[in-house]
Amino acid sequence: MSRWIVRGLRSGVRTSPFPAREDPEANDAPSAVELDVRGLTARTALAAAEACPTDALVAEGDLRRGRLSFDLGQCILCGRCTRLAPEAFRPVHDPRVAVRARGRLSRRVTWSAGGGPVEEAMELELTGRLRERSFRVFGRSLHIRHVDAGSCNGCESELQLLSSPYYDLARLGLFFTPSPRHADALLVTGVVTRNMEAALQETYAAIPEPRLVVAAGVCAIGGGCFAGGIMTHGPLDRLLPVDVYVPGCPPTPLALLHGLLLAVGKAEERRSASPAPVAGAGRKGEG
Amino acid sequence: MSRLAELAPALGLTPEAGPPGELRAICASASFTDLAARIAVDAHLSDLFASVNPEGIVLTAVFSLAGDPDWLLLSTLLSGDRFPSLTPRVHAASWYEREIAEMYGLVPEHHPAPVRLRLHDWPEGMPPMRCRLAPGERAPRGERPEVVPEVRGQGVFQLPLGPVRSGPQEAAEFLFNSGGEDLVAVWPRLGYKLRLVERLAEGRPVEAVLALAERLAGTSTFSNGLAFVQAVERAAAVEVPPAARLARTLLNELERLHHHFGAVGRVADATGLLVAAAQYAMLKEEVLRTCAALTGHRYSRGILAPGGLAAPLAAEGMAELAGRLPDWRRRAAGLGALLEDTATFMDRLEGTAVLEPGYAAQHDLVGPIGRSTGVDRDVRRDHPYAAYAELAFEVPTDARGDAEARVRVLLAEIGQSLGIVQQALDRAPAPSAVPPDAPLGAGSALGWAEAPGGETLHFIELDAGGRVRRWRARPPACVNWHPYAHACASGNNLTDYPVIEASFALSHAELDR
Repeated sequence: MSRWIVRGLRSGVRTSPFPAREDPEANDAPSAVELDVRGLTARTALAAAEACPTDALVAEGDLRRGRLSFDLGQCILCGRCTRLAPEAFRPVHDPRVAVRARGRLSRRVTWSAGGGPVEEAMELELTGRLRERSFRVFGRSLHIRHVDAGSCNGCESELQLLSSPYYDLARLGLFFTPSPRHADALLVTGVVTRNMEAALQETYAAIPEPRLVVAAGVCAIGGGCFAGGIMTHGPLDRLLPVDVYVPGCPPTPLALLHGLLLAVGKAEERRSASPAPVAGAGRKGEG
Repeated sequence: MSRLAELAPALGLTPEAGPPGELRAICASASFTDLAARIAVDAHLSDLFASVNPEGIVLTAVFSLAGDPDWLLLSTLLSGDRFPSLTPRVHAASWYEREIAEMYGLVPEHHPAPVRLRLHDWPEGMPPMRCRLAPGERAPRGERPEVVPEVRGQGVFQLPLGPVRSGPQEAAEFLFNSGGEDLVAVWPRLGYKLRLVERLAEGRPVEAVLALAERLAGTSTFSNGLAFVQAVERAAAVEVPPAARLARTLLNELERLHHHFGAVGRVADATGLLVAAAQYAMLKEEVLRTCAALTGHRYSRGILAPGGLAAPLAAEGMAELAGRLPDWRRRAAGLGALLEDTATFMDRLEGTAVLEPGYAAQHDLVGPIGRSTGVDRDVRRDHPYAAYAELAFEVPTDARGDAEARVRVLLAEIGQSLGIVQQALDRAPAPSAVPPDAPLGAGSALGWAEAPGGETLHFIELDAGGRVRRWRARPPACVNWHPYAHACASGNNLTDYPVIEASFALSHAELDR
């Protein structure tokens, strides 16, 4: 047994400096895709929507007049749009992609004769509970009950790594708990399947108030590529009130950490991910 | 001529050649079961599935023989909704037939246990793969008919575990029957994660179904995607350039590495060996980071495309891999040796959850679980794909069938995979050009790959417009869950259960689909 202790000590400290500092070593994988309207043309908008395997990019209209909806809550990070139109769709390596309001994951651009695509001002759809009071009530620690509501196991693979030396979520006061009675937060992964719906609802009901709900991964947020199936429910926030949305397929371990810290008010949303649209102030497209 | 090609005429079948390595025979529905049973005397039953065709319902059985590079697909057009069950003669057909029965509403006559496998409260009389529902329409909730074996005896009680598990794990439920210490019987209740991906694929373009194939299961993303994309390439006769084949081989092995590092780490965790669990978790994380550096995704999602790779492997990723590989080899060898030298670890594995080779053989098992019961099968060697035919590797086996055998096979496979990655690196895969969009037309083919859990088979049928008409996915967990309950009941204690589950490392997402 002493040989294991020596081996463990010899590895030294491998833990990520996130969130105090950036962790470039963990950021090879993008956490999200960002739309830069300045690089978008009507042609690339239509082509990217055609190539998108989910409803993350949906276009209507033609080259003369049309509209593109961009929903990070359905983006499975397949990389098709970023390869097709790198000047408009860029991978985001910053792990701080979680948001408190579902609407912050969506953008919309329109184009019409004589003009390139411009950003459309959008009402924030507050499907989630945009709570004014932060959950500082939880003090310095948060106990999390995870429910796999029908994932591919990619999200669980990443969640399990949160306990590994590289991420060590306990250093941030975050813990997984087996009992919903001891939990402060419900973390849901996967598209909610018909067969998991009852277990999910019962787990939520067993968590004492106040309780947070985190939707991790696009399956839980919008259904991802499993949306519209006869065995799946689609968005979690149609069943439960969601406080934090962590996009990704799966969300990277750092994105999950950021989402959990955001839930307890120990982190902020990344501002540049969703520039607040101002009515009539859309940027003129260049193409 | 392969042995399967010789066998078919002896049974009165005239197989036509399908895509390379695929023999296809069609028979009358009345003789299907008998022929399948006679072929299965020697051959492995690798899959059995139904499809809805314009003419009616087609049953297809897929066979393979050890040491034979061909697959044999035997199909029949059913004349009604009933067919004689193959299960009484071929035990490995049991779960396939239960799936056909619940999903297609067919009746396998004389099946010994014709109960549902993955459906819970889905109403009777509307088979999910055949029923019509308007978009957004929900089927009403019906009964959940099931047969849960009840164990009687003094002090025997039933203890449910799941479907919400203790940690961040997959949703699954196991009913334990215990007398206190001993695990008398374990009854897995499956299907909690049923997404019905095969129905979701119908009518969709190949690219969208590839995204689904990559999301059957997270830790077998690449191999399932690869088997699917190879099926498409074979159906459309698309050539894959050598550089792309080598790159695919490299990624297939990196996936095996991160899966196996994770699996061994979980076994260590189940035995309370936390330092080992942490050490293996670090290795897994490093492999995932290297995959991200190579492909832009930690699980290599989105890198595959029909004809090659959607983007060349990044040069920085190759450099990172070359830098890390010697360290991985050193650490993996050191950790493996230390585990085998740790009595508290090995004692928990020895004789735990035994699958006797004779019993296991009836299930036509695949992958590390099959190989730990002495089944010497590996599609990388037996049906070479990508660049495996050019690389040297061994297929480790162990015939004891207990948790120790399973872990030893995993450890040996880690060594082999590291060796394959080294060989692929030595050949320095040239950046492969992005393939032009291949025109896809009507066609069908089988695709396969050795996923971390064993061979994964994907059968696809494309329509004239190149869209997917039928996609059948048979990942390894569909096969390997079958004897699980039996292994649990081989004289183990309740406290062995975490070790048993970890040593099998079976995917629920793959089975439930």
